Amino acid sequence: MSPQSRLAHARGRPRGRWRMPPLDPADADRADRLYRAQLARAVPALVLIVALLLGLPAVFALWPHLDDLRLLGVPVSWLMLAALPYPAMALLARWQLRRAERVEER
Amino acid sequence: MGPLLAVALLVLGTLLIGLRGVAAMRTSSDFLVASRRVSPLLNSAAVSGEYLSAASFLGVAGLVVKDGMGALWYPVGFTAGYIAMLILVAAPMRRSGALTPPDFAEARLASPALRRLCAVVVLVIGALYAVPQFRTAGLVLSAVSAYPYWVGVLVAGAVVSVTLVLGGMRAATYVQAFQFCLKLLLFIVPAVWLVVQAGPEVRHDAVNPVAFTHFTRETPVSFQVDVTLRVAEPVRVETPGGGAALLPGEHRIDAGRTLVFPEGARVPEVRGDEPLNGAEWRRPLLDLEDSGHPLLGTWGVLLATALGTMGLPHILMRFHTSPDGRAARRTAAVTVVLLGVFYLFPGVYGALGRVLVPELYLSHATDTVVVALPAQVDTGWPGSLFTALLTMGAFAAFLATSLGLLLVMSGAIAHDLLPGGLRRLRITVVLVAAGTVLLALPATSVDAGVLVTWGFTVAASTFCPLLVLGIWWPRLTAAGALTGVVTGLLTTSGAIVAALFGPPLSGLTGLLVTQPAPWTVPLAFTAMVAISLRGRPAPWSRAAMLRLHLDEARLRPPPSQNRPR
Repeated sequence: MSPQSRLAHARGRPRGRWRMPPLDPADADRADRLYRAQLARAVPALVLIVALLLGLPAVFALWPHLDDLRLLGVPVSWLMLAALPYPAMALLARWQLRRAERVEER
Repeated sequence: MGPLLAVALLVLGTLLIGLRGVAAMRTSSDFLVASRRVSPLLNSAAVSGEYLSAASFLGVAGLVVKDGMGALWYPVGFTAGYIAMLILVAAPMRRSGALTPPDFAEARLASPALRRLCAVVVLVIGALYAVPQFRTAGLVLSAVSAYPYWVGVLVAGAVVSVTLVLGGMRAATYVQAFQFCLKLLLFIVPAVWLVVQAGPEVRHDAVNPVAFTHFTRETPVSFQVDVTLRVAEPVRVETPGGGAALLPGEHRIDAGRTLVFPEGARVPEVRGDEPLNGAEWRRPLLDLEDSGHPLLGTWGVLLATALGTMGLPHILMRFHTSPDGRAARRTAAVTVVLLGVFYLFPGVYGALGRVLVPELYLSHATDTVVVALPAQVDTGWPGSLFTALLTMGAFAAFLATSLGLLLVMSGAIAHDLLPGGLRRLRITVVLVAAGTVLLALPATSVDAGVLVTWGFTVAASTFCPLLVLGIWWPRLTAAGALTGVVTGLLTTSGAIVAALFGPPLSGLTGLLVTQPAPWTVPLAFTAMVAISLRGRPAPWSRAAMLRLHLDEARLRPPPSQNRPR
């Protein structure tokens, strides 16, 4: 049984007041380092995804003539909305996953 | 008959795979963590299978027909939610060992009151999310067969509760992963076929949409819900009982009737809806309620869907089947890719549907556009075959999501609110299914997309701040979390009640009532932080938070349970 499952079971029924068990001091140090490192890596990734989600609609609002530009007959703004965000998000996911995992390998 | 056969086959296949999954697994006494060795790829297929609901399979294309290209922002938000999950929640949530938000709340803050409150929130989100699934099942069945709407809803409720009571969720991973592959196949192949088969003229019209003012051919419109039409020019319509003249003015059309409009007749308006025009429809922004604030409307939907995904209880439960936090994080990353492939295609259905079946908006049935398309393109057997396949996919979508939702709602009642065992859980499943059917019966005229987005909004204003602050902010207190969740729940449900039953609102107020995320999410965060700062966190609070960030390689079991078994 994994440690998490054991925790989940320890907390299971019959339910009393449950407390998170204390951390071993060495573990606490490592956890603290990991927490800070992951936080430092989470912020830039969040900034990027927020920039994509707030930025692309703003681009459409600011440059309405993107609707009239055509690529292979299809409005460029449709293509930017229907196809562009998904590869961009896949790349972002890959980048963030690697960085988050590298922190834990140290 | 074809579509019904396809649905029957799907249900049978689901049951068989479910039973096989049960047999393949050891007879574990608790099935909640039985499948914790699921690999990231299989698990993300299962997560995507559960996530791609009727709202994704049918609803998005329907919203595109009704509201325009801007509706494609919904799937962008649905996918972006997994980026947020990957960055902020997946690994620490798995490491907490918590199955659901109520579990997490108790694990992190040791507050039984908060646990019960969270269980109530789970029920609200579950109902908002499950009702449109059942509704769509009813609409689709009545669109492809002669049965009225309520038959489909009842059948849906029966199928889901029987599957759940007999098979349980032990085999959920296999069923949902299988259904993801099925849905992907049944969505992409017909889309490609439709584009090829539609011909150059339809393809040209699809990228050059014009206002829908006159019927271009003799058009039958079947009404599954009561609608009031506003007729501007007298028009003679054919009905099964003979011809009838519609004079200028308002006409109430009862559910169950079919009117055939002649070619060249002027399209009537639907009371309460905007007519389908050309220029505005093409704009890639969401002008909700025609408030005149398309940018704010788009941002609101993105905020609700992206942040709401993090708090969807049935999705969080799936992440627990990963073996460790690292695998949970990988699952979130792979899910982004899988969803991205699927969501490339709703726009294709939407654009074709706008040209070929715009009349669906007259009968509030745009949600059925996906299954209505093949018959428009091909009247022979290929058309029937693809209708059957798409109906099957829609039912797979509906089934996978409803299974997860019903389980998590029953869990909230039988596990978090009342002390219960497996027997009580099974009875609760049936009761919850019955309740959802009762709610879905009068919900015919509400859009699937709108209801589901409300579910996301509630999740974004309650569980999202709870999880994000619980994982990343050591100073969070139980009192702060309680206040924040109550604030989020009351403001969002107040807005929903106002939008459903209140007077019609317009402009900015209307937008902020129908899409309250832009103000409710910051409000819930602020309430949580402000009340937490006024109090003092428990002495073990920081350790409780740090534990969530410790990787498994180093995590030792608690001392009291360190003995080998």
